[in-house]
Amino acid sequence: MKIFIIALRNVNRQKKRSFLLGGAIAFGIMIVTLINGFAGSFMENVADNFSQLFAGHIFIEGVEKTEEGKSIALVRDETILLETVREEGIPVQYINKRSAFGGTVFFQGKSVQQQVVGISWDEEEFLKDRLHLVDGGFENMELKKGIILSQNVAAKLKVEINDTIDIRLRTVFGQLNVGDFVVAAISYDPGLFGSISAYANLEYVNELLTLAPWEYQTLGLFLDDIRLMDVEVQRLYQALGEKVELFERKETVEENPFMAMMRQGEEEEWEGIRYRLFTLNDFLKELEQIVITLNIASVVILLVLLVIIMVGITNTFRMIMYERIKEIGTMRALGMQQGGVKSIFLLEALFLSLGGAITGLFTAGIIMFGLSKIYWGLGTPLSLLMKNGYLTFSIQTGQALMYVIIVALFTLAAAYIPTRKAAKMKPVEALYNIGTFRR
Amino acid sequence: MKRTVFIVLLSLVIITLSWSDPDFSIILADLDNLGNFDDTDYSAVYTIVSEKPGEDQSIIQARLFRRDNKEQFVLLILKPEVQKGQGYLQVEDSIWFYDPESRKFERSTLRENIQGSDAQNEDFNRNSLSEDYEIVNWSEGTLGSFPVYILELEAISRDVAYEKVKIWVRKDRNILLKQEDYSVNGRLLRTSLIPNYLSVGGKYIPSRILIIDALNEGERTQITVSEPSIAIIPDYVFSKAYLERVNN
Repeated sequence: MKIFIIALRNVNRQKKRSFLLGGAIAFGIMIVTLINGFAGSFMENVADNFSQLFAGHIFIEGVEKTEEGKSIALVRDETILLETVREEGIPVQYINKRSAFGGTVFFQGKSVQQQVVGISWDEEEFLKDRLHLVDGGFENMELKKGIILSQNVAAKLKVEINDTIDIRLRTVFGQLNVGDFVVAAISYDPGLFGSISAYANLEYVNELLTLAPWEYQTLGLFLDDIRLMDVEVQRLYQALGEKVELFERKETVEENPFMAMMRQGEEEEWEGIRYRLFTLNDFLKELEQIVITLNIASVVILLVLLVIIMVGITNTFRMIMYERIKEIGTMRALGMQQGGVKSIFLLEALFLSLGGAITGLFTAGIIMFGLSKIYWGLGTPLSLLMKNGYLTFSIQTGQALMYVIIVALFTLAAAYIPTRKAAKMKPVEALYNIGTFRR
Repeated sequence: MKRTVFIVLLSLVIITLSWSDPDFSIILADLDNLGNFDDTDYSAVYTIVSEKPGEDQSIIQARLFRRDNKEQFVLLILKPEVQKGQGYLQVEDSIWFYDPESRKFERSTLRENIQGSDAQNEDFNRNSLSEDYEIVNWSEGTLGSFPVYILELEAISRDVAYEKVKIWVRKDRNILLKQEDYSVNGRLLRTSLIPNYLSVGGKYIPSRILIIDALNEGERTQITVSEPSIAIIPDYVFSKAYLERVNN
């Protein structure tokens, strides 16, 4: 117990030095914790934002083989699909129906490629909270031919609210068709995903695709909890597989389940109607690489900082030994064993590292709390990484604890060599400062 | 007396016949036959000059190989340099697009626009107006100095890009001078003018086509044909291996 008290007193004795060493450790831990905190919530926020934009976590898409052998995407009869969802007790918050096409938008000699999503606005009220409009309003979408364009596309075409644009598209059968849309609103373009952000009325999109008013292409299930999607999709896959023909969900290194199902549709011989069952995670698999990269970056930063800190600690402890050489001699003369001396100095190093690490975690916590209270708005390029315009952080306790242990071990290792040399000194030599502390 | 009656009856028959509608199905079949090479192979170099507002003029040159009796066709891009080696291949009902950079074949369709121009794959393939469309209306008119039949066609199947088509056919001989293509909901999409034809092995193919985009004001594409030939094309040309090999 005395050893602990002596070690603590020694740390406290050299406040400036302890502050600098502990501060370096605290800074390293703080940076790493901030990166990990951001990476931890990255996937959750991105998935959450995408689920709002795509209107679901689990999707069912119908594909019908025509008499001419063409594959067309549509859901003609939703009864079995909805019945199965109900019977299986899938925890669904909303069910959405959408149709979409990719086309070329024309306006006064200018043209851009654009994906247009047909939405039933009465059923997808929540999208209005997610879409950040910079001009116009959702009330304009009461017009059958209304369309919401992204800021970027609107700027390229130089269109304003109430301008009429033409969009050339292909029907589900592949024939050319033209829609004349009225610009109802312009939405903020998050940049990365501008091409997915044109929204129109489902009724008109269906008409242009030559679908019946009650038909659509994709059924989106918005679950109560986004984390359930991988479990629930397996359950739904099993249950639906007994009632309708499904494309096989399989994942390989080269392609995600969605791509695999698209390929099956092209390569395999089949007839009638088949359904593709996929999740948001199937699309977002590639984004997981970003999280992995962030985690690797944080570990590399931690290691670099640790190496710098270790060099500092080794040098500092050499100096400490030199300064306290007579004190060591006195303690040894009074009967303290080599192990006792070693323990005092190692405990000093441990207290420094723990104090620094805990301060670092605490500081990171304060910064994260502060950042998470700032409303950054939905009109920023980072809005897809945030939750309703707020930054969020997610810390894994195990990971934080692991970093503290690593820092403690590194600090102990750095202090060990000078500590061992100090402990091995003879009391007489130390008292008379003979030979001093050998370098 | 008998002779007079015979002459009167004959005149009546002639007048009645001249008043009856021309057989437009024959005209459509003739138009198809005019540019189809069912007994020989056909190859030519097509130059596609595309103009879009606010953009530089783009020139694409491609060599076309056709074997109409087997419904085979290969379109190999020769220019510009960055697209050289790309190609379209029809094998039975499938159309493939090959990109030498990725060394991959992707599925395409006859209705696909070629390299962003207004020209489509099917503009280079065998004609099939009589198989794909039925005549829903006709009238007479004049185009330039030529008296023409103006035929309004509607697609029989959904395999064609344009649901409705309007064509101007010379009255004195079955040659297509102008074509308007419409969308499913009846919007004019493009107008093609064919001022010149050239004779190849007893057939007539347009030597120059001007396509005007009706949606994008100022966008137009001109196709000119050179080096037409009916020489036999080796079988290997109509294969994926050829597109892969021709780039090496």
